Amino acid sequence: MSAYLQQSLKEIQKMVSELAGVESIRNIVVKALSSGVNPIDVVDAMSRGLEDVGERYERGEYFLSELIMAGIIASEITNILKPHLEKSAEKPAGKVVIGTVKGDLHDIGKNIVIAMLSSAGFRIVDLGIDVPSEKFVDAVKREKPDIVAMSCLLTIAMDEMKTLIDKLKEASLRGGVKVMVGGRPITPQFAEEIGADAYGSNAVEAVKIAKTLISRGGCA
Amino acid sequence: MNRRKRALKALHIEEPDRVPITEMDIDVPHLEALTGKTFTGEVSLQTSVSADRRMEAIKVEIKTECYRKLKFDVITCDLSAPDGWKSVRNPDGTITDEWGRVLIHDSRCKTWFPYRSIFQTPEDFESFSFPDPHAAGRTFGVEYMKKIVGDEMAVAAFIRDPFAHAWEMFTPITFVKWMYAEPRIVRKAIEKLTDFNVEIIKQLADLGVDFIISGGDYSEKKGPMVPVKYFREVVFPGLKKQVEAAHKKGIKFIKHTDGNVHPLVDDLANIVDGLHSLDPSAGVDIGEVKAKYGDKLVLMGNVAVDSLARKTKKEVVDETKECIRRASPGGGHFLTSSNSWYTDAKLENCLAMVKTGRKHGKYPISIFNELY
Repeated sequence: MSAYLQQSLKEIQKMVSELAGVESIRNIVVKALSSGVNPIDVVDAMSRGLEDVGERYERGEYFLSELIMAGIIASEITNILKPHLEKSAEKPAGKVVIGTVKGDLHDIGKNIVIAMLSSAGFRIVDLGIDVPSEKFVDAVKREKPDIVAMSCLLTIAMDEMKTLIDKLKEASLRGGVKVMVGGRPITPQFAEEIGADAYGSNAVEAVKIAKTLISRGGCA
Repeated sequence: MNRRKRALKALHIEEPDRVPITEMDIDVPHLEALTGKTFTGEVSLQTSVSADRRMEAIKVEIKTECYRKLKFDVITCDLSAPDGWKSVRNPDGTITDEWGRVLIHDSRCKTWFPYRSIFQTPEDFESFSFPDPHAAGRTFGVEYMKKIVGDEMAVAAFIRDPFAHAWEMFTPITFVKWMYAEPRIVRKAIEKLTDFNVEIIKQLADLGVDFIISGGDYSEKKGPMVPVKYFREVVFPGLKKQVEAAHKKGIKFIKHTDGNVHPLVDDLANIVDGLHSLDPSAGVDIGEVKAKYGDKLVLMGNVAVDSLARKTKKEVVDETKECIRRASPGGGHFLTSSNSWYTDAKLENCLAMVKTGRKHGKYPISIFNELY
């Protein structure tokens, strides 16, 4: 790769991590692609930039707004790359079926997690809000995801997470899919008690966990 | 001691006879359970969703009966929608409020809450007719509550914080997108919402409310939702204007926020009179805030709503005692949960919190290290 192309990728990474304006990032990505940069290398540069954003958020240097903005930027880049990636047939990082469990209509946290997972290359099947466990089970049968991710904000809806895990077991689907949970009232202890594989306290952690679950090779 | 006087003493950071107790709000299913009454009207914790005055009066009556029954020292009241206003009914079952917030109904909690927005482009906001703070009927609920409550309890009126209001009006993702790409729009929204609140505060003070509670969050579990610098440059100047409006009329101003507020407390201590929630689930230590700002900030909190929902009665009693031990000495503390009595809170835990407050909140506070 020429020094110019390498410099372009470094620039993309830096612009993502420093949350440069969407328009300027779009321009540099388009320019890099027309100069012959491999779209997969752009994805890697973007991912490194996003990882940096996540680390800054965890260190308290960045705030929720910056996390959301990084997701918006990544989504813009992904849209530009989509036609190029389809040609190169790049495999997604994994497939996640996600929803806010039955009894809860809140979706802000879930949507931020979706933005971050999508940015990290995961294919997302969003079941929406107030999702009954039967709908999750049907989606697991149909979509064959690597991960089922459940979110809730209301304490009253927490037990629905256990209901879904039990239903996945009843349907003999539990062994083929990892389950991660998150949301305001959820704790690591609760996740363990109900038999989830992992708990994420925020969107950055959710991405890390999803990657770890996939890399463990336990997924379908 | 009269309950209102008890609250006013605490509001002035003095020790009354015992720590005043209240809740920022109580979900309708609990109001119904505690009063034996049924409420069929529409409510939202964030906004006015109906101008049906008959229903609004019934809600005020049920809430007053409930707060009386619990012997609360403060009762809270919402702003009303203007006379004749009707929400927009959308085909998917959602409704749109006066502010362009699209709300969805939660039948279990019997409440509407913000879900989407009518603002898709900056032009949508530019062409939006902003609600009039002086529209007739805006203070219907507050006036009615003052009339039936009199001086029995202190009356706190809710306003919506301009930052949180804009965050909900635009939805978080659009708010952030415009915060970077169209900063003028977000600033303009916050400024206009501030101007609206200033006019409302003047009216509320003239009606005799005892203090203002500004609802809406600044923080999430990890920290502030936007950079502290943004709060200082864009949000806090408007907050100061609202506090000044309240002070000019001789009433106090309390800021509510969930989440980890620690990074903002130093600034807030120099702007507002008090903080509500002090969310323990987000790691906020009420004792730490008390030690640092107990002489200038009224503290309202902070029995965790998660404890009310999931823990045993004994654990809630212990948590309440610990809260009193750390926050009540010296006055300036109102015992409340860390938000409100949601539908998922166990009523027996809520009542245990109140009972414990009444038993152990007597001044001088004598719970010292008995828990340890």
